[in-house]
Amino acid sequence: MAQRSERRRIHLDQSDLLCTKGCGFYGNTAWQGLCSKCWREENQRDKQKQIQDDWALAERLQREEEEAYASRHQKAQSQAAVTPFNKFEERKTKEKSSKVNTVTKFFTPSSKTPPKKGSPSSCSTANRPSSADTDLATREFIDFLKPLKYGRQIFRQCRAFTESMAYKRDMGVEDMSECVQDFYQSLSERLHTQFKGTKMLYVEGIMDEVERYMTTRLYKEVFCPETSDDEKKDLAVQKRIRALHWVTTEMLGVPVDEEIPEASDSVVKAITDVIELDSKRVPKDKLACITRCSKHIFNAIRISKKEAASADDFLPTLIYIVLKANPPRLQSNIQYITRFCNPSRLMTGEDGYYFTNLCCALAFIEKLDGKSLNMTSEEFDRYMSGVQVSPNWPPVDGAALTQVHERLDLLSGLGERQELVMERARQLESDLIDWTDEVEQNVQSILETFEAPVSSAIDSDNVENEHLPPPLTPQVFAG
Amino acid sequence: MAAAGGGGKSFSFKVVLLGEGCVGKTSMVLRYCENKFNDKHITTLQASFLTKKLNITGKRVNLAIWDTAGQERFHALGPIYYRDSNGAVLVYDITDEDSFQKVKNWVKELRKMLGNDICLCIVGNKIDLDKDRNVSTEEAESYAASVGAKHYRTSAKLNSGIEELFLDLCKRMMEAAQVEERSKGNGGGQSASGRRGVQIVDDEPQAPPTGGCCSSG
Repeated sequence: MAQRSERRRIHLDQSDLLCTKGCGFYGNTAWQGLCSKCWREENQRDKQKQIQDDWALAERLQREEEEAYASRHQKAQSQAAVTPFNKFEERKTKEKSSKVNTVTKFFTPSSKTPPKKGSPSSCSTANRPSSADTDLATREFIDFLKPLKYGRQIFRQCRAFTESMAYKRDMGVEDMSECVQDFYQSLSERLHTQFKGTKMLYVEGIMDEVERYMTTRLYKEVFCPETSDDEKKDLAVQKRIRALHWVTTEMLGVPVDEEIPEASDSVVKAITDVIELDSKRVPKDKLACITRCSKHIFNAIRISKKEAASADDFLPTLIYIVLKANPPRLQSNIQYITRFCNPSRLMTGEDGYYFTNLCCALAFIEKLDGKSLNMTSEEFDRYMSGVQVSPNWPPVDGAALTQVHERLDLLSGLGERQELVMERARQLESDLIDWTDEVEQNVQSILETFEAPVSSAIDSDNVENEHLPPPLTPQVFAG
Repeated sequence: MAAAGGGGKSFSFKVVLLGEGCVGKTSMVLRYCENKFNDKHITTLQASFLTKKLNITGKRVNLAIWDTAGQERFHALGPIYYRDSNGAVLVYDITDEDSFQKVKNWVKELRKMLGNDICLCIVGNKIDLDKDRNVSTEEAESYAASVGAKHYRTSAKLNSGIEELFLDLCKRMMEAAQVEERSKGNGGGQSASGRRGVQIVDDEPQAPPTGGCCSSG
């Protein structure tokens, strides 16, 4: 271990910045540590071979990933075999993957029983969360990178980095976020150099896939992690929203008229979308949920107001939707997106705008007081303590409550009846057992009482009948 | 973020619209991006997030305009909106003295939070209602100059002054971005968050946890 960390430090040394061929010029990591001249030379010669290798390796990696949970040990060996296979691989990557191999070996259970293929084994779940989702993400990622020029490199780096993150879980989620963001940053900068001349969108597309792969793999480690108090905050927010159930559209100044069926339809859809947020893993997918929710809100506003919605209309409505939906783990989701989403998406795009609004809605709800609803703080307290009920909710609440009580009565009635049925069934069972015993006994006793007299009667009859030939059995009798 | 692209020269800017409700923020941005005013024939779904692509002196500019809720009760949420923006358009209604007072509050807050990193535009809207004017142009202009902002007079209804306002703002933001880029050296303006070429960083903390794994596993 000590040797390894030392080797890493040499990496930062001035001499390491020079061309690895030793020609005296400065090298560039984008050119595998070579200077431009040496790189061109190397590149020309090996380009053809590299393309072939890329294909072979991509296929091999895919096989490997499919068997990732099949056998840790086997995988480590095959990776070791791969390493010399590509001799112009960036040294750093080589080092990283070999490190991963070593670590992988430590985690390989001593019993070398290879688990069955196709069924997630217990040993792999001990290593890292391996599920159908993450495997699918890996496969899709490989498929996406296959046709790309530097696909192999990108995949190796992402995988090595992702696996290294598993050992950083103690360092706190903020630092992990920092690491991931740094990784995004350096990778995207390198890609911009490597794909110079292509459109920016191209690199962004690759970065999207990188993010999708990495966040899917890391999700369990970094979403609402134990090291942070996200869960506590989630519960607080949930409780807070529940306590604010009495807030009406009028109090917030929401321009949506829920009497219009189309508008209330959109409201329901918006609520569904914002709840769905929690079910997605990739930040981009989560953002898409928020965007869909926002579009439904705009639609509801447009139907009610007959004009394009401004932010003055949108934010109150979003707050209202969040209050009505009480989305699960809202705080965690927002934190997760902020920490692990590619920052450029949050800064500028449309998704970023709606996400910002959701953050605002949450901040508003957390700080909500009487003043923000245009009421006195006494009035607010009365609502919060439940002394005063909001003008709109009681009928709904009352109806719902009586309905709940009715259902509860029905349920308890059903329970009693089931008890009765069960008791009767047990009674019937014991009755049946008694009955069979009784029948058996009866038969036995009847058999006992009738056996002897029947045989003697026949015999006496036969003896008395003189017309018949003498019975054949006297000898038996005599004997 | 002033993301000057790696390859071709292109800028993307985030601009926030601030101001009290009813000063015409939404009308202004709708007029600018879609050239519509009080359109009864609705084709636009929303007017709170709009984008505009521009070409200024051969450079591509992507402008994202973020509308903000102007109600007083949402004032405290301001920082969440204007974080990382390159420009702010502060709108007041020339017939409403209070809305100008609001703008002054915003300016104070923005300068305190973001310093001089943000280009400020103070905009007196509704100049078509000049007869009801309650904020004098001289006062507004001298105030703008005193806080390092520029003052504009617009009317969304008459489509006057709006195009100029945004064009001018874009030019100022481009200048600011180029200055920033130069001061950062040749690294390009894209790493404003200070994360640059830090391969080392994600490697360094790796050794201790790995050791921990070995001893525990």
